[in-house]
Amino acid sequence: MSRQRNLPIRFLIFVLLGVSLACTPAAAQPPIKLGNLVDLTGPTSEQGKDIAQGRTDATQYFNEQGGINGRKIELVSVEYGFQPPRAVAAYKKFVEEDKVLLVLGYGTPDTEALRPFITKDKMPYLSGSYSGHLTDPKQTPYNFPGGIDYTSQIRIFLNYVKETWTDASRKPRLAFICADNAYGRAPIESGRKYAQQIGVDLVDEEIIPTVLTDATSQLLIMQKKNPDFAYINTNTQWVPVVLKDSYKLGLKTRYVVNNYGIDERTPSLAGEAGEGVMGIADIAYWGDDVPGMKILMDFHNKHHPNDTHYSAYMRGWLWTLLAVEAIKRAGSDLTGDAVKKALESLRDFDTWGLTPPFTYTADDHRPTTRAKLYVIKGGKLVPMREVSVDRDMAWIGK
Amino acid sequence: MQCGGFRVSYRSDERIFETYTPIVAIVLLLAALCTVPLFATTYWLDVLNRIGIAIIGALGLNILIGYTGQISIGHAAFLAVGAYATAILEAKAGLPFYLAIPLAALLTSVFGLMFGLPSLRLKGLYLAIATLAAHFITTYVIIHWESMTNGVLGFLVPPATIFGFPLDSDARIFYLIFALVVPAACCTKNLFRTKVGRAFIAIRDRDVAAEVIGVSLFKYKLLAFLISSFYAGVAGGLMAHHSRILFVDAFTLLVAIDYLAMIIIGGMGSVLGSIFGAAFMTLLPEVLKLSATSLTGVYPQAFGLIASTRDVIFGLAIIFFLMFEPQGLARIWLRFRNYWKLWPYSY
Amino acid sequence: MNEHVVFMLQLIITGIAVGGVYALMALGFVLIYKASSVVNFGPGELVLFGAYISWATILQMGLPLYVAFPLTLVTSVVLGLIIERGVLRPLIGQPLISVIMVTFGFASVIRGVLNMVWGSDTKPFPALFSSEPFHLGPVPVSPVHLWSFVMIILLLGGFSLFFKFSLTGTAMRATADNQQVALSLGVSVKRIFALSWCIATAVSALSGVILGSVRGGVDFSLADLGLKVFPVVILGGLDSVVGAIVGGILIGVFENLSGGYLDPILGGGVKEVAPFAALVVILMLRPYGLFGKINIERV
Repeated sequence: MSRQRNLPIRFLIFVLLGVSLACTPAAAQPPIKLGNLVDLTGPTSEQGKDIAQGRTDATQYFNEQGGINGRKIELVSVEYGFQPPRAVAAYKKFVEEDKVLLVLGYGTPDTEALRPFITKDKMPYLSGSYSGHLTDPKQTPYNFPGGIDYTSQIRIFLNYVKETWTDASRKPRLAFICADNAYGRAPIESGRKYAQQIGVDLVDEEIIPTVLTDATSQLLIMQKKNPDFAYINTNTQWVPVVLKDSYKLGLKTRYVVNNYGIDERTPSLAGEAGEGVMGIADIAYWGDDVPGMKILMDFHNKHHPNDTHYSAYMRGWLWTLLAVEAIKRAGSDLTGDAVKKALESLRDFDTWGLTPPFTYTADDHRPTTRAKLYVIKGGKLVPMREVSVDRDMAWIGK
Repeated sequence: MQCGGFRVSYRSDERIFETYTPIVAIVLLLAALCTVPLFATTYWLDVLNRIGIAIIGALGLNILIGYTGQISIGHAAFLAVGAYATAILEAKAGLPFYLAIPLAALLTSVFGLMFGLPSLRLKGLYLAIATLAAHFITTYVIIHWESMTNGVLGFLVPPATIFGFPLDSDARIFYLIFALVVPAACCTKNLFRTKVGRAFIAIRDRDVAAEVIGVSLFKYKLLAFLISSFYAGVAGGLMAHHSRILFVDAFTLLVAIDYLAMIIIGGMGSVLGSIFGAAFMTLLPEVLKLSATSLTGVYPQAFGLIASTRDVIFGLAIIFFLMFEPQGLARIWLRFRNYWKLWPYSY
Repeated sequence: MNEHVVFMLQLIITGIAVGGVYALMALGFVLIYKASSVVNFGPGELVLFGAYISWATILQMGLPLYVAFPLTLVTSVVLGLIIERGVLRPLIGQPLISVIMVTFGFASVIRGVLNMVWGSDTKPFPALFSSEPFHLGPVPVSPVHLWSFVMIILLLGGFSLFFKFSLTGTAMRATADNQQVALSLGVSVKRIFALSWCIATAVSALSGVILGSVRGGVDFSLADLGLKVFPVVILGGLDSVVGAIVGGILIGVFENLSGGYLDPILGGGVKEVAPFAALVVILMLRPYGLFGKINIERV
């Protein structure tokens, strides 16, 4: 009879699941656990894949080097599809079930939302989100953005516009094109204020959906105001759409893209539309001539030589490196507070040359305010110059 | 052990439980449930809380789809309205949660009424598509009415307090949630012993015939939407308090599909089905996550592969149940229980 | 020309171009509904499938176009057969809600499998058409959109002729009308269902290729476009091929006009919601759309 046929199959399925659950390897000395939040199926999955790979590889590398003070590192990884409610659930699990020492966070919406919990739990949170709202230790003492913050980046853009503007008859006109989520909107407010402060004309702000298929109508609206420059604050997957639509409309606007909007693939994805587009780079690109690249390339060749990697992969390594260094410095005192202080003790820390040296202090969680400006020329990313802003405390936490 | 029915009055015909044994069993179960927060970890309490919330939502959806036969893909929108209404009433109007949640649920039912209006003209597929549109319009309004809802940045919900005692941990919210799940299930079961419930079932089975015998389609269809959205509003309000931060992303179309899956896999038109379905759909991703985490410990490079199995398993589970057991887990449970009830006899 | 008129013209022409792509996706949906009265709630995933397979054959395997393209079509036809045979046939006679859920189910499976096999990063799509826009008066139009439009018109013509004059087409219409009568007249309903799904998946694959070219890349966001099919088919009529195309264009134009004019007032995101607002209005006023067959329920 049918019910007897179904029961064994269901039983088998449950047994298989149970066996996989039981397959947790036993460790000699308890490993140090780090929470790992990634997006592999959502709107930032393109970079998420590389970030996850970078973190996993770096962890394996450090474990091969002997771990931290003899203890192995274990990543507790949760994929959350860029959906903040899943991130909150994962965070709860990290804190209460897995008892992680530090969380390698990911997106701005969830990191910003978790701020009160992070502070309450004293959980050092090294995030992929570089939101300016995470840089003030007075408000968010345990949040550490893993790179140059978005507010500093937008100030770099505005400074660049002002410096290179040669027409004395009028002020330069510019626009912001931002994704419709906490990440895209993070620097808008500060950008507005700073634009006013240095005397450039912010003529238009366009909000584009997180998942972008067609930007034509938004660009047509922007075209009416005819800006000379525009700052794009969305992810690498969607920037080519903006660029191609702009090219199709024949817009004369020059674009600058933030660090998460441009990577090695952008020139080929955007094609002719990408020529002359500039981007801010927070980290080295794959194959760049920096000391750390050799370690990454050796690892890549040894373990998965057939993959390709982009800048997000380097970021995964970078943040793991920071976490490992901080935990090393905390020594035998493995508490959230000690790791926080250890991070804040990093002064001009050499990140294997992947980024400018990092400095976190007890008053300022901005790791650096230096970056590189690249331009797409002839279908390739060509470095233009180094750019930076000063560590003006007026912009901290904004 | 029972062997057939012998009823001498209408009253006894209407009884939910024939003997006292199930009642005793349920009371014991509830008592056991009360002791769970004492020894369960926060992670599992969180899962149980989410199951509780899902049960209330699924009961509501079952009333609409399983009992009244109106197809709605807009349930996530109703949950969102309930959640945001609760949060806004508490944060901005300063109401305590025991006023805010019922009031928000009432608001949600009015909202549900609005979107139930198309059901008077549309049937089946067209109604489904109308509710789909309702979902997107609601999401849009919530995102862009920033002055009220804080848009995409997330709305922080103050913890529910009873006489100054904050319900801010999973253990405490557990009692609140299950204190509402039990009446919700009882109400639903009782609803279908009343005239209203029978009218719903009549509409599902053959609405033209129902109208002919005097069931006012206008009144009862709207009532179905009203009641179903009330449940959704309560569930939404509890969600607001459970997760403490509200994001529009918590109410995507996938959530509505999850609830549909709950009642289909659980069993349409059955209270037990809603409960089973809610538990199953909430536990499925957790089980997957656990096996993913333990497998990742052994094969760290496979993480990406394992993460995308979630979609595949979800899809396969739906297809599997629809093909082999269209009446859901409730039916499987019923068969199982009857088998043991009559053992060692076969019928 | 007056600036405002140019602005409006630009929006309209963009709308027509985009609408052409919507129409192509809607065509897949309409074909299935027309023949088997099955609603596919996962049209986006079928498009995605086509896009990924064509990417894989052209770029990953490096096959030349005249091999890759037919291979893509063949693979999608096979997918259509699998879906129809394996998943939908056992569900004949089940209530509508089960059928809707099962389409969600296999959409999820397709999505998951694609993610597992190829990963979620954007794959650059080969430029099948040049990207130099050419100008329709003051308005630039990209060649991809133009080609998709041409393709739609061709398909419209082809399918209209097919349904009207060929034996199989007539059989399909008969099946959609009344399955039992069709069966009694000797039409193999099973084969018709299979055929309709295969054509539909092939057309979806085609739209996937076009969408990939438009975007210049293939990734999972293509599936989200799938839901926009619903306003199109409701406006056009669930079972009308002509309706799919007219509906697609109208929705495309409406969407862009609302975006262009309402975005500055309402703060963005209007383009995503406008088709659905229109959907509600259409459902209240004229649920069967412009060209749909009016369903009279007989008791």
